Amino acid sequence: MIREFIVAFVGLAGGLAVGSGFVAFLTVLGVIPRLTQLTKTMKWIATYEWGVVLGAVVSSWISLRDPLFSFPPMLASVIGLCSGVFVGMLAAALTEVLNVFPILAKRLGIDEQIVILLMAMVFGKVAGSLFHWIYFVDR
Amino acid sequence: MKGTVFLKMRHRIQVQPNATVRLGDVAQVIANERMDELRRVPIYTVKKKDRNIVIIDVMHVMKTLLAVVPHVDVQLLGPSQTIVEVVYEKKRWGYLYVPVVWLLLFVGSGLAIMNFHEDVSMQQVQQRLYRVITGKEVVKPLWFQVPYSLGLGLGMILFFNHFFKKRINEEPSPLEVEMFQYQQSLDQYVIMHENKEAMRRMNDDS
Repeated sequence: MIREFIVAFVGLAGGLAVGSGFVAFLTVLGVIPRLTQLTKTMKWIATYEWGVVLGAVVSSWISLRDPLFSFPPMLASVIGLCSGVFVGMLAAALTEVLNVFPILAKRLGIDEQIVILLMAMVFGKVAGSLFHWIYFVDR
Repeated sequence: MKGTVFLKMRHRIQVQPNATVRLGDVAQVIANERMDELRRVPIYTVKKKDRNIVIIDVMHVMKTLLAVVPHVDVQLLGPSQTIVEVVYEKKRWGYLYVPVVWLLLFVGSGLAIMNFHEDVSMQQVQQRLYRVITGKEVVKPLWFQVPYSLGLGLGMILFFNHFFKKRINEEPSPLEVEMFQYQQSLDQYVIMHENKEAMRRMNDDS
């Protein structure tokens, strides 16, 4: 009995550490504020927080229990698109933190056409990802 | 002349090489008399050795101004220096680098995302997730992966609020704010370092 308690305690502690780390990571990158700013839905921010928390809990449950459903592949596409947008936003936020674009644009003297550089990264990510899944994984 | 002159230094101006900078260029001036004459008072002549940034300190302006009109009360508003940017002939060759940098960013970010996928075993996760959703075992769950890849780009565009040239809403994107802050830091730096009046060192020969 005591052993189970210790295991549960360790599990809880680990979960707390990982969960708070995850939230801290999201906060530093500022993806959620950015989304609320874009959609002008600041007052729903508590709902979004719950979305993140429930998403993390449900996903960890799924990855631990390995359930099987038989939904159509279309649902996989929807989930794939969502996760892609999320990772894309994370990547964009990271680039922004590193201050890559302002310095590059300044050096090249193309302050106005900074969107060109941005598009290079966007297309690069999409092309790299497609190349990876369609061709690279078979080699 | 008796009276008050109100002076507000501009933040940043652009001039041509060897131009004479006049009071009206570096500052907004309001006076109760001889306003036009005051605006034409030469403050500084740009020299070759100035390169492309000159800082004009308000004290220098005051000195010149008091030499012209000794008995006025000068009221200063706003910043205490102006950054004068000497614009030499537009460097068109900057644009020659653009394709190179573009390609660099394109290939580099593509490689980075592939490395990221490998790093976090994305393929395995997606295969498992696909099995959980559809109940079928697939080695290449492209129904998941292609939308995922397109979503990547969409997410980046969404974050920077650019749909190519078209904006989703009026607010400045984080990138524009970032550019602005970077420019501000640069300005702050040149104000301190290019301004001979701002610092006094020991044993300064100049």
